[in-house]
Amino acid sequence: MNQALMQMTVSGALMGLVYALVAYGFQLTYATSKSINFGQGELVMVSAFFSLTLTDLGLPYYLMIPGGLLFGVVAGLFVERAGVRLALEQKSEGWILMTIILGLFGFSAAENIWGRDDRPFPTPISSDPIQLFGISITPLEISVAVGVFMIMAVIELFKRKTLLGKAFEAVSADRDAAELMGISATRTIMLSYGLSGLVAALAGILISPITTVGPTMASALVLKAFSVAVVAGLESGFGVVIVGLFLGSLESLTSYYVGSGWREAPGLVLLILALAVRPTGIFGKGVIRKV
Amino acid sequence: MLKRFILIRGIEGLMVLLLAAIPLMINNGFMLGLLTLLAIYGILLIGLDITVGYLGLINLAQAAFLGLGAYAAGLTVTHFGFGMLSALAVSALLGLVMGGLLAFPSLRLEGPQFALATLSFSALSATILNEWESLTQGAQGLQLVRPPLFGLVLDAKGFYWLCLCMLGLVWISMKNLLFSQWGRAFEALRDSPIATDAMGIGTYRHKVTAFALGSGLGGLAGGLYAFNFEYLQPSVFVYELMVILLLGVVMGGRKSLWGAFVGAILIVLLPNLLSNRLLFQIFSAIGFLSALGAGGLALYQKRTKPFQGVAPMIAMGLLVVGSLTVQNTEDWRKAIFALMLFSVVVGLPEGLMGFAATFLSKIFKIEPLPLATPSDLEQVLVKRDVDGGPLLQLQDLKCYFGGIKAVDGVSLTISSGTIHGLIGPNGSGKSTLVNVVSGLYSPTGGSILFQGKPLVRGSLFDVARQGISRTFQNLQLFSELSALDNVMVAMKGWYRSSLPLVLMGLAKKDEKRAEADALALLEMVGLADQARIPAKDLPYGAQRFLEIARAVARRPTFLILDEPAAGLAHPDVMALLGIIRRIHGRGITIILIEHHMDVVAGLCDMVTVLDGGKVIAEGLPDVIKRNPLVIEAYLGKGSGTASPEAVSLATPSPVPA
Repeated sequence: MNQALMQMTVSGALMGLVYALVAYGFQLTYATSKSINFGQGELVMVSAFFSLTLTDLGLPYYLMIPGGLLFGVVAGLFVERAGVRLALEQKSEGWILMTIILGLFGFSAAENIWGRDDRPFPTPISSDPIQLFGISITPLEISVAVGVFMIMAVIELFKRKTLLGKAFEAVSADRDAAELMGISATRTIMLSYGLSGLVAALAGILISPITTVGPTMASALVLKAFSVAVVAGLESGFGVVIVGLFLGSLESLTSYYVGSGWREAPGLVLLILALAVRPTGIFGKGVIRKV
Repeated sequence: MLKRFILIRGIEGLMVLLLAAIPLMINNGFMLGLLTLLAIYGILLIGLDITVGYLGLINLAQAAFLGLGAYAAGLTVTHFGFGMLSALAVSALLGLVMGGLLAFPSLRLEGPQFALATLSFSALSATILNEWESLTQGAQGLQLVRPPLFGLVLDAKGFYWLCLCMLGLVWISMKNLLFSQWGRAFEALRDSPIATDAMGIGTYRHKVTAFALGSGLGGLAGGLYAFNFEYLQPSVFVYELMVILLLGVVMGGRKSLWGAFVGAILIVLLPNLLSNRLLFQIFSAIGFLSALGAGGLALYQKRTKPFQGVAPMIAMGLLVVGSLTVQNTEDWRKAIFALMLFSVVVGLPEGLMGFAATFLSKIFKIEPLPLATPSDLEQVLVKRDVDGGPLLQLQDLKCYFGGIKAVDGVSLTISSGTIHGLIGPNGSGKSTLVNVVSGLYSPTGGSILFQGKPLVRGSLFDVARQGISRTFQNLQLFSELSALDNVMVAMKGWYRSSLPLVLMGLAKKDEKRAEADALALLEMVGLADQARIPAKDLPYGAQRFLEIARAVARRPTFLILDEPAAGLAHPDVMALLGIIRRIHGRGITIILIEHHMDVVAGLCDMVTVLDGGKVIAEGLPDVIKRNPLVIEAYLGKGSGTASPEAVSLATPSPVPA
């Protein structure tokens, strides 16, 4: 097989895992509240900038991570409180517009606080390539994959094994029934937004050493994460990983063979195609309308 | 009547005259530029308001349609030498077609998918405009010269008047559309998509049409935009512009032409506002004080949630702090838009015009137009001949949900001209059965024959078109619409006028006739004097009756009444009996799902009893009441009592959700 093709596929797929992680964050909030944060890309970007500032302040890498994650959680909770809760109470789709607004504010704030330029993100993990089956891959790229799978495994275990996690699952399955059992849906939705913020912050910390940090990373990431979430369906955690890997490699091949300006295109086309062919997503469930 | 005409038409006319006259009075190029932009953005926002206001969907593609329309006009003029009007027609058509193509896949689901698809579409079109350099010249920009209009070379003033004329045309035709059966359908499908489908109004195709129309207006505005600036760059038509457009629509006021116009004024003035520091400080101070005043008052009177009162104050407070401390407001442009939009969405969701409309209608007390005289019910519901033959035949019908066999092999024949009762304990499959027949669910197996022919499956809309109409156990009214409009929505299939006639305002006769017919139906259910009241404000019993009137307005052959008496008080039940008899008297065959034994016994010619998804008995009501299997299904084994009273007592109507 063509060496360049293989190389492109693999490094693209690793990037795709980060899209999958952001998409997984959408799934967490969609499960409990049928809403997602349209400003998630900005959340990733602002968290990454915040983590960079922690590093600049002299915090060692492994202490910076919890700090960045904590920031993500707080930001996620803020989005829920300021942008989502009111709309959900009114049973409207107003959260779409509200989260867009919060994202825009975050974007503008980041532009002015941290500047418009891309900045390198230091990491102790080596980026000297090692050869694996003829493909060069860096420990940094491997750390991305490890980080993504680890956080998803931890959250899935949390949902299945802890009482709080079971409450989460209960609200996802049937909000009204869960409330009748004494589970507060509002708190569970808060929890899901907190987790979603955590996942987003981690995505930012993982990807920034490779791509650098800048305000534009927000829209670049979020559009692809949207594609992954819609193509895979908003329910399946396994699905986003598969679709993320696929989209990541497709995108890297497109930018190699067609031109880097077109790298966004496959994800966007896939999203619209998926809606045409299978609107609930490849791994999504059908909906039963009740009257 | 006269006052209404003067106030509404007069203000519109005055505004047009004023706008047209300004360039004659003031000779100022900058001013003229702003006015031209105002007319263009007016068209753009009216288009956006169709989706954001009337359909209630977040549309993030309008900036992209503006861009596509602009490039379409620019390229047809530079490459093919098109004239002004033909280039504009291409722009509008491109918007219409692309809008249709985008809406087609993305409007199939409710939820965030639509907004995501429009977002992707915007990003994709930006990529194409940027990267397809051989056609669009990419980031370098496209230079063009404004083509002549019928050989006439327009100067800036002339072009402004053209834009104003376009805005006027769009305004009039949209007004005609939105106050017609189409506009009513657009509003209805936002309230209850299921009910619009069941009324034979394709929810999906109406949404697609509406979105395509709005996109077409976006394209038209794009064409004008291109001829105004005579230079295009892809970087203009991006996400930020989209947010500004949303700000315009939301702040101006949704679901309102005037709202779109006010929004356009705001958008045009916004850049100038931001470039002048003092002006911006004054503006944000006014914003803060009004948030403080309005929010404080609402909180004091406990009219609003704390969040709705306080959040705009905080946002506006931040704006004031920013206006005083930030050196370069241009840099913070996006954050300023965000704060303004946030405050409006939370604190003034109906927008400036929505607020002004309630205020003005209080001052001027504009009376609504008088209602038409109700038609004769005999003519609205022409009596159908019934032959007593089989109308609906179910053969071994099954509907499974996973392992649950909700309907498990039901065979049933309903003769035309009868009232057929369908009873059974809770969970026996009655509602699922009628949901399958009416097309809400697809059957797992079995056949349905209607008038001897196989009935379409799994589509409420197609089934409704076959002459089957239904009510819902849990009410599915168009809650924001008046009682009259609820019924008129269902009459849409009976309108004769085509869309172009409606747009030109030549369909008023149709409208009057539908109103008279609808009033006759409201009279039939005893709601004629409540015609103007929004459905959500009607008492519960009246809502049930309204749903029946709406279902009958389809003039069906076959009517499904799903627990019409659920939750009704005794006098209302009596009224219901009368209504059902009158409908039946017009030759409409009815299937009645009911828990009240006395309703069933008093009305039905034939009763079928379901239990566990199967038919356990069928026969005349009196016989059914004494059937031991039926009594057992309702009361369990060995209960000893066998009186019909016991049956009806044991199954009280469920409390409405």
